[in-house]
Amino acid sequence: MPTVTNNYTYADRLAAMRETKVRHTLEKRKQNGFTDLDDFGTVPISEGYSVEPLYNSTNGSFYGYDGMCENFCRVIDAHEPYIDPNEMLCGRWRDMLVNYRGDPHYLPDWLKKNPKTMELMKSATNQWSKRWDEQRFPYDHLKPLQAKYNIATGIDGDAHFACDYRIGFELGFGGFLEKIEKYRKINPDKKDFYDAEERTVKAIIRFVERHCEKLREMIAAEENAAVKENLETMLKTCENITYDAPKTFREVCQWTAFFNCASRIYTRDGAGFQLDGLLWPYYQNDVKAGILDDETAKFLIANLLLIDPHYYQISGVDENDVDRTNHLSYLILEAADSINIACNLTVRVHKNCDREFQRKCVYYLIKNKNAWPRFCNDKSLAEGYMRNGDIDKKTARERIAVGCNWMCVPGKEFPMNDTVKINIAKVLDESLKDMKNEENKSSARLFEIYESHLKKAIEVTAEGINLHIDHAWEVTPELVMNLMMHNTIERGEDISQCAELYTVGIDGAGLAVVADSFGAIESRIENEGLVSWETLYENLENDFADERVRAIMSSAPKYCQGGTVSDAWAQKLTDSWVAAIKAQKMPEGRKLIPGWFSWSRTIEYGSKVGATPNGRKATTPISHGANPNAHFRTDGAPTAQSNGIASVQCGYGNTAPLQIEFDPMVKADDEGIDLVLNLILGHFEQGGTLININVLDKEKILKANENPDLYPDLVVRVTGFTAYFASLSPQFRQLVVDRFLTGI
Amino acid sequence: MTDAIVADIQRASTHDGPGIRTTVFFKGCTLSCKWCHNPECIDPNPQILFYPEKCIGCKMCDKGCFSGARVVCGKSMTASQIAAEVAQDMAYYGTEGGVTFSGGEPLMQKEALSDAIDECKKLGIKCAVETSLIYYDEQIFKKLDLVMADLKIWNSETHKKYTGVGNEIIIEHFKKLDTLGVPIIARTPVIPEIEQGIDKISEFMKTLKNVICYELLPYHPLGNSKRQALGIFEPDGFSVPSTEYMEELKQYAHCNK
Repeated sequence: MPTVTNNYTYADRLAAMRETKVRHTLEKRKQNGFTDLDDFGTVPISEGYSVEPLYNSTNGSFYGYDGMCENFCRVIDAHEPYIDPNEMLCGRWRDMLVNYRGDPHYLPDWLKKNPKTMELMKSATNQWSKRWDEQRFPYDHLKPLQAKYNIATGIDGDAHFACDYRIGFELGFGGFLEKIEKYRKINPDKKDFYDAEERTVKAIIRFVERHCEKLREMIAAEENAAVKENLETMLKTCENITYDAPKTFREVCQWTAFFNCASRIYTRDGAGFQLDGLLWPYYQNDVKAGILDDETAKFLIANLLLIDPHYYQISGVDENDVDRTNHLSYLILEAADSINIACNLTVRVHKNCDREFQRKCVYYLIKNKNAWPRFCNDKSLAEGYMRNGDIDKKTARERIAVGCNWMCVPGKEFPMNDTVKINIAKVLDESLKDMKNEENKSSARLFEIYESHLKKAIEVTAEGINLHIDHAWEVTPELVMNLMMHNTIERGEDISQCAELYTVGIDGAGLAVVADSFGAIESRIENEGLVSWETLYENLENDFADERVRAIMSSAPKYCQGGTVSDAWAQKLTDSWVAAIKAQKMPEGRKLIPGWFSWSRTIEYGSKVGATPNGRKATTPISHGANPNAHFRTDGAPTAQSNGIASVQCGYGNTAPLQIEFDPMVKADDEGIDLVLNLILGHFEQGGTLININVLDKEKILKANENPDLYPDLVVRVTGFTAYFASLSPQFRQLVVDRFLTGI
Repeated sequence: MTDAIVADIQRASTHDGPGIRTTVFFKGCTLSCKWCHNPECIDPNPQILFYPEKCIGCKMCDKGCFSGARVVCGKSMTASQIAAEVAQDMAYYGTEGGVTFSGGEPLMQKEALSDAIDECKKLGIKCAVETSLIYYDEQIFKKLDLVMADLKIWNSETHKKYTGVGNEIIIEHFKKLDTLGVPIIARTPVIPEIEQGIDKISEFMKTLKNVICYELLPYHPLGNSKRQALGIFEPDGFSVPSTEYMEELKQYAHCNK
């Protein structure tokens, strides 16, 4: 437990909190091994921590209301309270349910000592884990095509939608229980659901109560008057919200911290809310009542951001295009600056928004070089989302940035965003194989075959999505997030069954590899006659044994160079992708939304793909998100990249993010701010949707790559999420470094 | 319309004037500064740059090099082709950015330069040049939003020793340019091995009413790799000024933007 070793000023306390965070990052790496994931805000596993899960399925895992609820209770009950006397808020999380269901993506090293877990893992692979109950809901018939096209199916995905925190702020944990009780009577046939929800809320309440108990012990033992007073205020805050709804700014922050811990433990949900919107009335009331000043508000926000790097949005406009940036928006930025840790703040940008605020956002991005904040485009996202039909502007404006690459209407939408991906480089791979024995080869014929494969890939993906939506409630009901969704408690149904909006995202991965491949074929084989089809196929099979052939193909004009044949192919591929996704029939009002995003799995996806006509060697990583391939221009111009990515937006409210590593020479002065802001505004003016920027110090990142422990506080934005560089695997660190050095 | 011989077009440049800019490097220069960081822009004709580390040894140079080992520097471009490429980044120029015509000495191809400026201006793009001021063309200068010009050494003999020409004509052109009302950013590359008389240059620049800034640019050795690619293997022999030296000189830079 951290101790107080400072003068107890806000600045000293924040510095101590940051030091503790650095220590935790290094300890977690020892306990977990490398984790190529979001930091999640966890603290290290405490001595003696252990959970004995209850496996209620004969396949060795646990599912459904009872299985999920029982194990949630076991995991959260095993969590010791976390109280740092330097902080104003308490609560942290350490462990999550998914760790016990045989998912190789998340298994930390400390849990590998558990024989039962390892037994589960034996039959799990990257693609097929025990998170889905295949005994009851098999999909073996889908697997061959899912594997063929290297599809991330979304089957067994969890969270990836957003709560409407207003529900929780209004009800509190006690209010949840009353609501459950009320609707239990109306829906007596939903006993299992209500029993599970009730036990879930009671487990969260016990979690809060344990913090109260611990606080009482600490108060009794505390001799420092200032610290004692702080602990007493913490206790009062926790007592006030154990059952009742939060009423003050401090209470609403603490309530959020507790709910987020529970939600993370359950399905590591990271979707936050419009931070400067929902907290604004509490801030105003408290300031008016004389119980809150700006310095304390900033400390509380910093504390909340430290507790958990949920995705929060700030700024933007309302449904009448009126700027909703307010004084709290500024305080949030200052708070984030004061703690300066891995932080997933997204700034919503619109032409009506306060330009000075945007400048301040850019200032912090450049000054701290810690990958926050990032930026999304209000106009293109809202207008795009409305194109899905029957969606009004108000709803579209409510759809906020709450994930790596994705947006969601809080409380109403079940988008499965970021869980479903098709590796189009693999689709190209299959198409090339099909065309091999045809007599009349051409880029046009290859594209025809590609489109037919793509159609099959989308069909099988859609089948998987429907399987997931139809049965998710029986496998992984969202017992925690359900509490703050519309219709769930009212109907006695999981959100997967009763969402108002099923606008489900499918992302394509590998755009640049495929665009550059088509571009290289058209220019080098068809237009210039430099390489024959026969030679290309020989080299695809022998992995470009002929270096000259590889040089010819890889030096062809590339996507993002501007006005090239490959730029045209990228747009054609986007049109085709969008048309195929939108043409896919879905049942029960479900709609598919296209996007381009690879998540951080470029290495894994690349390992499944043979050599490609753009000179890429077999099994090497595919391109990142909608980004161009490395060395796309000798000047690595971010503007060229920005233009290219703006031209491949899918246009229905999901993103094709611009992931950019900006010139480290840019200074946090007026000139530097203008440069970066012009880049952001220029990208959005052309229809871009989301910008993730890393402003990095070259020398620092190269040194950190050699010895990560030198900079345990260095944060990078890996894709949409931020991570401590020191926690990433060597392979992933290299990926970030390479991207930085090649200017993409 | 006269075509330009362009060595390269660099987008998203942040070091060739204010804001985000596209820099068009014209080929050809009458000066031969010994520290030149763009030596490939001195010869007005297209040249081959050779980067041996990229050579894959295919022995098919005559059929075209695709590995990046042999790179042609210098291609003919029409004014509208230049403007089209510059226009690709219009969304980012804001109120400050635009195009910078650099080189080499862009005024060495004055017709082509004038045409390119006209084409860019038609699109509403702000235009600047980086020039040695060895040439003076009032018609061109009047069209510009900014002129960035060097006075490298105060003593004319020394100037001639290191650049091949005396500086009287350059100083004269500075004075004439100052009468046009076009904003000027004056610069001096800082070469520690040379007595440049930066204090005197600084004083001179203060006498010119349209010099909005006088900047000191530390020498960097990036030209050496390009010299090697041109077959000149002897390094230029200059060194990067120390931070202390730049700090010492800081008093002479001024800016009234």
